[in-house]
Amino acid sequence: MTWKEKLGTQVPAELGKEIDIYEMQIELRKLGKIDEKLFAETRLRRGAYGQRYDNAQRFDGFQTQHLKYPTSLTKGPDTAWDAPGMQRIKIPFGGVTPEQLEVLADIAEEYADNILHVTTRQDFQLHFVHIEDTPDIMRRLAAVGITTRESCGNSVRNITACPIAGVCRTEAFDVTPYAKALAYFLLGHPDTQDFGRKFKIAFSGCECEACGLVYMHDMGALAQVKDGRRGFKLFVGGGLGAVPYQAKVFADFVPVEELFPVTQAMARVFARLGEKQNRARARIKFLIDKLGVPEFQRLVAEERKILPVDSRWTSYLAEAAAFQETPVKPGGQLTGSQPSDFEAWLETNVYRQRQAGYATVTISCPLGDITATQSRQLADLARKFCGGNVRTTVEQNFVFRWVSETDLPELYRGLQAIGLHEYGAGTILDLTACPGTDTCKLGIAASRGLARELRTRLAGKFFTLDAAVKGLRIKMSGCFNSCGQHHIADIGFYGNSRTIGNRKVPHFQVLLGGQWHNNAGSYGLAIGSVPAKNVPAVVDRITERFVRDRQGNETFQTFIARIGKAESRKLIEDLMNVPAYEQAPEFYRDWGDPREFAMGDIGMGECAGAVVSALQFELGAAERLNFEAQLAHEAGDFAKADELAYGSMLQAARGLVHEQWLDVPTDPATVVAEFKTRFAALFQPALATYLFRRHENAPGTSTGESAHRLIEEAQLFIEGAHTCGDKLLQQKTAALKK
Amino acid sequence: MELHKFGIRFRISNAPAKTLQEFIPVFHGWIQRQALPGHLLVDVHDYSHVPNGPGILLVAHEANLNIGEPERSLVYIRKQPATLTETLQAARAAAKLLTDEQGVKFATEQFEIFVNDRLVSDGVAGLIAEATAGQVTHQSGDARERLTFVVKSPL
Repeated sequence: MTWKEKLGTQVPAELGKEIDIYEMQIELRKLGKIDEKLFAETRLRRGAYGQRYDNAQRFDGFQTQHLKYPTSLTKGPDTAWDAPGMQRIKIPFGGVTPEQLEVLADIAEEYADNILHVTTRQDFQLHFVHIEDTPDIMRRLAAVGITTRESCGNSVRNITACPIAGVCRTEAFDVTPYAKALAYFLLGHPDTQDFGRKFKIAFSGCECEACGLVYMHDMGALAQVKDGRRGFKLFVGGGLGAVPYQAKVFADFVPVEELFPVTQAMARVFARLGEKQNRARARIKFLIDKLGVPEFQRLVAEERKILPVDSRWTSYLAEAAAFQETPVKPGGQLTGSQPSDFEAWLETNVYRQRQAGYATVTISCPLGDITATQSRQLADLARKFCGGNVRTTVEQNFVFRWVSETDLPELYRGLQAIGLHEYGAGTILDLTACPGTDTCKLGIAASRGLARELRTRLAGKFFTLDAAVKGLRIKMSGCFNSCGQHHIADIGFYGNSRTIGNRKVPHFQVLLGGQWHNNAGSYGLAIGSVPAKNVPAVVDRITERFVRDRQGNETFQTFIARIGKAESRKLIEDLMNVPAYEQAPEFYRDWGDPREFAMGDIGMGECAGAVVSALQFELGAAERLNFEAQLAHEAGDFAKADELAYGSMLQAARGLVHEQWLDVPTDPATVVAEFKTRFAALFQPALATYLFRRHENAPGTSTGESAHRLIEEAQLFIEGAHTCGDKLLQQKTAALKK
Repeated sequence: MELHKFGIRFRISNAPAKTLQEFIPVFHGWIQRQALPGHLLVDVHDYSHVPNGPGILLVAHEANLNIGEPERSLVYIRKQPATLTETLQAARAAAKLLTDEQGVKFATEQFEIFVNDRLVSDGVAGLIAEATAGQVTHQSGDARERLTFVVKSPL
């Protein structure tokens, strides 16, 4: 039995079909029938991602080894087919149920390395996954309502939201149902398939708390109530990365009825005008910077006017307004005897909800990792204490919402039994780190190794730290791309390297004064790069100075601003020096890696994927249909083969029309008529005839011979569509040059 | 159903001899020398911060190996097709390397085999008995955990 057979109708039909297609694309790639670049973007949009060593090179401490994977195929540009990779799993707004936690546990065990990793976008990641296993992973997830679609690639990534939305004491209203509805509205939407780069959206319920970090997103939605109506203050053009941008206000108030169409119009403008060739400048922040907000607003407003009306824009609103979570127990008070260490945990990991008698509990996961067994045990605790109201957080933890305060000691004991009872959530102990050199192709230094080391050291002295220091946040990334969100930490680090003599030394750039609060209200400033081994001393030096010279209740940001950049740099200047190798060889190794530091296996990142146009996707789909036609022909089902071959030509023709008319319908008559009108001059006439003939004369009965001929013709038609697409591109380029 | 998806757990009997992180350079050395025949050794991953987790993981194209807790063990999990006999041989080869090079000792009287595929359940005990020539007992516990058998047989 296979998982496809076992799960049957538990996998929603549409999703099941998509996964079948993806599985077929893997087969086609193995047969060399899909272009590598196209397949790379295809798998990325399904969340299947390369890892550090899958350029078939691994620096082993002495030399770069050329890894000899069993096949010579690749699964995308410079990515070895056989190398185990990463699977990202999208969790809109971080909402996850006990049943989903159990399935995630099973797949982490069976296909990965027994670890579920929570990411800084409320996703999960599995590592060391073989690509042949990914369709079954997707089916098992789909059966419990999870999709991996558009987890990576040039698409709308996981939509994040404040993890305490709905229970927060200061929010305007619960953003959960709006975040969820928008996530599914945009998933696979035709207007989000032709971006030059990814697009990240976040929701937040209140302006002054950290919540959804709307200022650092491509689009941020901040809940507002105006004259009794719900709506959002919309932000655009924020982002971290090498050069961080603060989002700008796009509109002070967009009523909920307009949230979807305005977002859709933005997506169209971004797809049309966003950079496609130079991916370093392809995020929407660069487009906003180039156009200016007023011009972008004008373009979006124009696009909004011509959008075809979609009932989904408003059909969810009544349900959203009535949305409410159900607790498993009545609210209560904290009474009775309490376990040892409970107080510390209560102070840092428990948030009193606005609903009396209930609390939200943060479950700290070291470096965002939990085992499969812990995930099942967490599911059991969730059922018992919070009725399944679980969310992941962008600080790589879980929260249990709607826990009766009476149950807090018992929940603590339950977490203690499974090793997830650590205190310090939201404090200096709660370090955030991206994967860095552990698994990321772009990583320069070991951000996880550093986080592990800092965590151990800080945990040892947590109770002796000044309260102001306990409340600081430390975040680190393995390179300047900021996946660890180092810009919005009080103390941030990103990996780089310096050459000393003939050797490379792992370093971290130090950034001070970023702001997590106020929705990522401001970004930290770099003050200098220190060798990785000196980072713990840097943390000590800076925090000690803060405690010593702090004025009244001055925040860390105000303190850093007051002492200034020059003084901040002076604080760490001596720690920027690297001793000679002979004196201190440990400086030439990274945290957690006893080998001498080198950058011999750094590769190209897959974060953005290659830019593949919507037409290329359409033509890829046409080729797949034609391949399915061949399979049907082989199975003796000639009528089906004929239908599929015809469908493949329609798909290719529609792809071309779509280049000029975004809302082209799917009915064959319109597609053929539009294709004829628009492409008569560009498309090779003999090949176009294949489509016209089959469209006008459907065979009463298909024979093996007729079906075979149509399959051949369809293949030629698709080739013609590729050529026509190239001509279109040349025309566009020439027009741009003029 | 993929019958190659077995895991083998050998318990380490002289556990306190090394910290988990001391196995990182050991596994790096294996990659440098490609020391495990029939395996393309690729990467080492440190999960020592996860309570009762995989500990230190050595990733090969053919299998994942890890030395983890709570009861310090070497675990070999097959990822690519192989017979159970071949899987046992590979796991034993890894254990022997650890013994020869690092002085790691293993409990010799019994070990565990688990099925890393929830589609498989029927006939597994017989298959294991045949491949190991040992006494095979089903280990009961949380029904959601993988099907696990204790095999009384010398390593």
